[in-house]
Amino acid sequence: MKQFGSFIATRLFLAFTTLVIVSFIVFSLMELVPGDCAERYLAFKNTQGSGISVEDIEAERVRLGLDRPFVERWGKWLVNAFQLEFGRSCILRVEISQLLGEKFLLSLAICLASLVFAYVIALPVGIMAAASENRFLRNTLSFVSYFGLAMPNFLLALCIMLFSTVYFGNSMTGLFSEDYRDAPWSMARFMDFLGHVWLPIFILGWSATAFALQTVRALVSDELGKLYVTAAKARGVTGWALLIRYPARHSLNPIFNSLGFDLNRIFNELPIIALILTLTDAGALLIEALARSNDQQLAGAIIFLLTASIVAVNLLSDILLAALDPRIRKGIMI
Amino acid sequence: MPLLSVKDLTIYFNTDEGQITAVEDVSFDVRRGEILGIVGESGSGKSVSTKSLMMLNGRNSQISPESRLILETDDGPVDIASLSHVKDLRLVRGHSISMIFQEPMASFAPAVKIGKQMVEQLLIHTDLDKTTAKARSIEILSRVGIPDPELRFNQFSFELSGGMRQRAMIAMALSTRPKLLIADEPTTALDVTIQAQVLALIKDLVAEFDMSVILITHDLGVIAQTADRVAVMYLGRIVEQGTTRDVITSPQHPYTQGLINSRPSLDHFEDPLTPLSGDLPSPLERPQGCVFHTRCAHAIKGLCDTQKPPVIGVAGQDPTDEDAHNTSCHLLSPSASEQVLVS
Ligand SMILES: Nc1ncnc2c1ncn2[C@@H]1O[C@H](COP(=O)(O)OP(=O)(O)OP(=O)(O)O)[C@@H](O)[C@H]1O
Ligand SMILES: [Mg+2]
Repeated sequence: MKQFGSFIATRLFLAFTTLVIVSFIVFSLMELVPGDCAERYLAFKNTQGSGISVEDIEAERVRLGLDRPFVERWGKWLVNAFQLEFGRSCILRVEISQLLGEKFLLSLAICLASLVFAYVIALPVGIMAAASENRFLRNTLSFVSYFGLAMPNFLLALCIMLFSTVYFGNSMTGLFSEDYRDAPWSMARFMDFLGHVWLPIFILGWSATAFALQTVRALVSDELGKLYVTAAKARGVTGWALLIRYPARHSLNPIFNSLGFDLNRIFNELPIIALILTLTDAGALLIEALARSNDQQLAGAIIFLLTASIVAVNLLSDILLAALDPRIRKGIMI
Repeated sequence: MPLLSVKDLTIYFNTDEGQITAVEDVSFDVRRGEILGIVGESGSGKSVSTKSLMMLNGRNSQISPESRLILETDDGPVDIASLSHVKDLRLVRGHSISMIFQEPMASFAPAVKIGKQMVEQLLIHTDLDKTTAKARSIEILSRVGIPDPELRFNQFSFELSGGMRQRAMIAMALSTRPKLLIADEPTTALDVTIQAQVLALIKDLVAEFDMSVILITHDLGVIAQTADRVAVMYLGRIVEQGTTRDVITSPQHPYTQGLINSRPSLDHFEDPLTPLSGDLPSPLERPQGCVFHTRCAHAIKGLCDTQKPPVIGVAGQDPTDEDAHNTSCHLLSPSASEQVLVS
């Protein structure tokens, strides 16, 4: 138990360090973008007709604290970031937390739900695909998962939209119905949300499942060939008891390690799905912030939040894994 | 009635390159209370033939329909090859037969406590409840010479030394009091001192547990120390079989003679080693006739490379006798010498 405690402490420290480093990279990138927030805002103002002078820009810089040294500004940004305060958007001049708040949480929830969806299916099916004595079943499962991989998410999304528009007269887009879009959260709004959100979760989970299925199948197959599995069989252990306690349990290590990657991949696919299904979520907002308006404050905040989510998932999976695998807990493996 | 009677066991593997015959027409008995040694080079089929007693060869293996693997049980004789359902297979998987493997490290599941794996087996094969199963496990851990068994019970295999691990493996194998213990090179991974201790332990346990042992090794020294009888395997066939004394003091088959001569000897350490000449043929190109003829210095052309040698009792013994010394070699068959003279 003492070992477990110090294990968690080490991992927490590592996660924290990672975030500090990430924040440095993100902040440096924000700096590297030509021009700064003051210029950008005022240039934007300029296009609206108000004449702006060099002095105005300088004054705005001082007001925003942009004249301070890099390290000081980074430190300040970092401390605020850990409190989920990211200042104001360069262009829109609204608090970023306000701009992002619900959207980011919704995106995160959708991605996490897709991840859970993927593994709830991939774990049992992958174990079966690896272990089944039935050749036909094995081949069918491999085919299905290759098919899942080969069919891009956006194509699936388009197909579903087309199908439902033709047959139900409803394109099934958005996260809320008209009535609830801007309503405050309530039980009814939540139910409405659930009625919509399953579709993006399903579509994002689709290729994540196919991918996870391949991983689980390959890992469990590997473990199945090991001597300790033969030894367990030789002791009379059979069926699911054998599969779960031996090959499956011992494949968890690499599976858990890939959870962070999986979440990352799902996040990457979110914007295009969001575009097709017209969900106004953080992924789409990120693209807008980066591409259209050069809003470095907003982009930095989104990237930092994304990374923090992935680091958090990795931290959680590490701790869960250590609870399950004594070799890690006892420091034999890292 | 022997405890186990294997007759004409032939095992194939279906591989991408084609069908491989890994074991061919192997027959041997294991009597109650005896240690039968199986010796042979790597790849001779020692593991494959004994794993078939627990039906543990993988999906791509196939046992020929003529093969008989008759095990005497309390409910009469059972043909192991005819057990098809996994539940029925439990009879030979941990109940009447147990197996310990060459690599004690790899045969324990790394993330499951040793005690848990032991209790699991007892719950499958006996009516014991968890508490009694635990007590029984600790008792047997202590019997095989593991100090502080309660602590070990709650440890993982990586926390034990190699010798301790193999002892724990033996404890686990014996916990259900099987009739037959298969020990597949149980001491190869251990140093000589520990090896001697483990072998002595196995010998002690034979009498105490009233069981039989099949001891697989490629070390004739181990056989000489422990086995009552020995079968010598080459390329999937038993080429010679008899009491350990007979086979080691007067080996008849050229392969057995080669094995004995290639052993380094401390008494004559200046003598050059005489390894068996030639390489083991690939399993895909199984020699016709006598499987050993490609490496045999005395092979007779036109006979050894075409005809399978019969099983012959050495010095006129009846080859079906219990302790008979048998070999399969044309050179020792009276009819063969005549044939050579004719040709
Ligand atoms: N699953 C398999 N598929 C194909 N061929 C196999 C398989 N298992 C074993 N064989 C072949 O069967 C033959 C006998 O193997 P076996 O493992 O019984 O040898 P062994 O006498 O135990 O050798 P060692 O001393 O190295 O353990 C070998 O030629 C091997 O390549
Ligand atoms: Mg072997």
